[in-house]
Amino acid sequence: MKSISLYVDNGSFLTKVHPFTKLMYIAAAVSVPLLLGRLWAFPCLIAASLCLLAAGGVLKKALPLIAFSFTILITIFLIHGLFNQNNATVLVSLGPLRFYREGLLYALRIGFNIMNMLLSFAVLVLTTRPSDLVEELEKRGFSQRFGYIINSVFQIVPQMTGTMNTITDAQRSRGLETEGSLSTRAKAFLPLISPVVMSSLINTRERAIALEVRGFGSGRKKTWLREREKHRGDSAATIALGILIAVALVFRIAEMIRA
Amino acid sequence: MAVITVENLKYRYPHTERLALSGLSFSVEKGEFIGVIGENGAGKSTLAQALIGLVPQFHKGAYGGSVTAAGLQAQTTPVAQMCEKVGLVFQNPFNQLSGAKDTVYEEVAFGMQNLGVERQEMKHRTEETLRRLGIWQYRDRNPFDLSGGQMQRVAIASVLVMQPQILILDEPTSQLDPQGSEEVFRAVGELSRSGITILMIEQKIEKLAAHCDRILLLHQGRQIAFDTPRKIFSMEGLEEKYGVQPPAFTRICRRLDRRLPDHTYPVTRKEAEGLFAERKQKTGSGAAAAEKQERRESHSAQEQEKETAERLPDRANILKQAQNSAAQQPGKTDAQDAQKEAPVFEIQNLCFSYHPQTPVLEGLHLILDRRPTAVIGQNGAGKTTLVKLLKGLLRPVSGQILFYGEDIAGKTVAMLAGEVGYVFQNPDDQIFKYNVLDEVMFGPLNIGMTREKAETEAKKALELVGLSGRETENPYDLELHERKLVAIASVLAMNTQVLILDEPTIAQDCRGRRIIGGIIRRLSQEGRLVLAILHDMDFVAEYFERVIVMAHGQVLADANAAEAFSQKAALAEAALERPYAAQLGERLGLSHTVLTVEELADCLR
Repeated sequence: MKSISLYVDNGSFLTKVHPFTKLMYIAAAVSVPLLLGRLWAFPCLIAASLCLLAAGGVLKKALPLIAFSFTILITIFLIHGLFNQNNATVLVSLGPLRFYREGLLYALRIGFNIMNMLLSFAVLVLTTRPSDLVEELEKRGFSQRFGYIINSVFQIVPQMTGTMNTITDAQRSRGLETEGSLSTRAKAFLPLISPVVMSSLINTRERAIALEVRGFGSGRKKTWLREREKHRGDSAATIALGILIAVALVFRIAEMIRA
Repeated sequence: MAVITVENLKYRYPHTERLALSGLSFSVEKGEFIGVIGENGAGKSTLAQALIGLVPQFHKGAYGGSVTAAGLQAQTTPVAQMCEKVGLVFQNPFNQLSGAKDTVYEEVAFGMQNLGVERQEMKHRTEETLRRLGIWQYRDRNPFDLSGGQMQRVAIASVLVMQPQILILDEPTSQLDPQGSEEVFRAVGELSRSGITILMIEQKIEKLAAHCDRILLLHQGRQIAFDTPRKIFSMEGLEEKYGVQPPAFTRICRRLDRRLPDHTYPVTRKEAEGLFAERKQKTGSGAAAAEKQERRESHSAQEQEKETAERLPDRANILKQAQNSAAQQPGKTDAQDAQKEAPVFEIQNLCFSYHPQTPVLEGLHLILDRRPTAVIGQNGAGKTTLVKLLKGLLRPVSGQILFYGEDIAGKTVAMLAGEVGYVFQNPDDQIFKYNVLDEVMFGPLNIGMTREKAETEAKKALELVGLSGRETENPYDLELHERKLVAIASVLAMNTQVLILDEPTIAQDCRGRRIIGGIIRRLSQEGRLVLAILHDMDFVAEYFERVIVMAHGQVLADANAAEAFSQKAALAEAALERPYAAQLGERLGLSHTVLTVEELADCLR
């Protein structure tokens, strides 16, 4: 079954880092440049994220994310560079197109922000098994039912693709053409989709029973199978990141008072 | 002390008229192994759900009487609490999985987590149970990637680890190969000896008879009898009145009127063997020839025509066909036989794999003619893969498949649809119309039949599967075993030259099996190839002429049924068992492999 999770299980040190430390890293990476309000802070943290991704051996996996965000970034640069309402100083002229300094700076800030968030989230998403994160959340009082829903999405979506394939095979076996012109495909829609919907409805009901039978919602205190090794690095990193955010905050407050 | 007490239990599902359970009263002692039998619709699964409280808590409906299991009132105790004491394994393993765990190991531990079992204890129980059920090697696999049989083991394991006092199993072996089911029965038997009370619904009567202390017979929601296997299976009219076929050993002894001292019939091989003990001594090593002679003599001409010719696949069947066709169309016999042997499929050096590293089929050569052919083998042997290749649903990695001399590589699945029919295992993968007739007409219309012709064919097919008069019903309102028959009819109506059946007998009682057997006979008489994947050896022995034994993507044996079932090494490697009649015949010193109850009874007369 093809997983829809982006997690890469390569056994790198990042996969062993506690999910909460990574959450803390995201918090720091996103908030520090915003609090500092300095443009140079963004590239620093983007570089930090890239280093982490490279060290975790998942830089290659992050490239499609970066490539995807570039299409948005280019649009932002074009629109703000050309049309931002604060535009005053012309920086470059390309024929009839005039790019303004103010707009480009504004776009740069947004662009950095997007890249920064994207990469810091990539550090979490590419190196954390979704169920690990949910498990840690549940341990700290997150609702069991929500946890189940999140986990099951990662299982049920690929499983439905599997069911869909079987159904396609079953209907093709009965002479249904599923490929070809638009009208052929339109005709094939109902025979393919109805069994999927019906069987999901039936399955949902059965699964609800299955969960009951396996003690889900027994009201007992849940236990966990996996033991997360307490890593000294985790708390150190979390504290360091916390201090970083605090420093940035103090800096910002000081700046506001001075102004 | 009774661990389960059921008193005057009555239950009706919402929006239905008939009582699904009607006045059940019985009690079960601690550590007993109880079998529950009855035809489809007898109320077996409903009873299973009532014991854990899903009926009435989940299904609602009208409820009367009381059920106490392990000291808890099933009507009022929340199911999530009941499950600590009472475990339930579903019929369909796919739906038993939580759908939230990535690996078999975590899936199995899920229930224990919910009940708050300590980590070390969880690990210990998980490992022990996975090993016991032979799925320890799959612990890191995604449960949904496993084959049906493996998944069923996971489902059983996931309930076993919760260590319930009472374990209810609803046809837990329906997807397993014969040795796999034997393992489950053995494991469950051990549990019952360790003090766990077992209640098992099963269609595999011989195994149930061998392992159970008592058997509960249900019919249309009513409790017919609750007694020892011998008493139950010695009842008169079991098959006619209640749709339950007694074990093969019982049928043999009944035919020969051999009873045990307490006037019951034997239900297990051992018991039957004991009855024929003197005979076994008589037919020692050198008595084989005499044996054969005796058998020949014992056959009256009438019997031979009535029974042997019908039941005995290979030899006698050909004989009968020769006789029949000779009578009807003199001079055509040879031509017909030759036609039957003419290749339909020629498989040449076929290789296939889903992942390059793990080949499923390697260099397979096979010629399929029009004899009804059964493909048997353990879970994951590549049987379904093979038939999907024949149907064009999968494309070979290398090698060729010729259909009537033509390579199928150039044809789409839809193009082959009119020639090769394939009935999938799960009927819910194809049903989408609002009434049975439309559903069955869908295939015929697709392959270009006119509306009138399609309707005629559909009605004919529905009659064949015994669903005449149900044309206007919504397929989803039918029971699973009926939906399976609708799926079979929907392919039958396409009038294809080849019919492929994937596990057609799962979830069918003996009436359903007989219907399907009848279809196989009929099609093969019409000169069409029926190719079926099966785990039910007795069904194979009764209805198929040719048997192909597969294991690890290779053909281990390919012969007529009698010969294939005498190849013990191949059968053992493919995790198969011999038909019960063959097992008993061998124990009694018969020199040849007998396939059916009737044949064996004749030999022993």
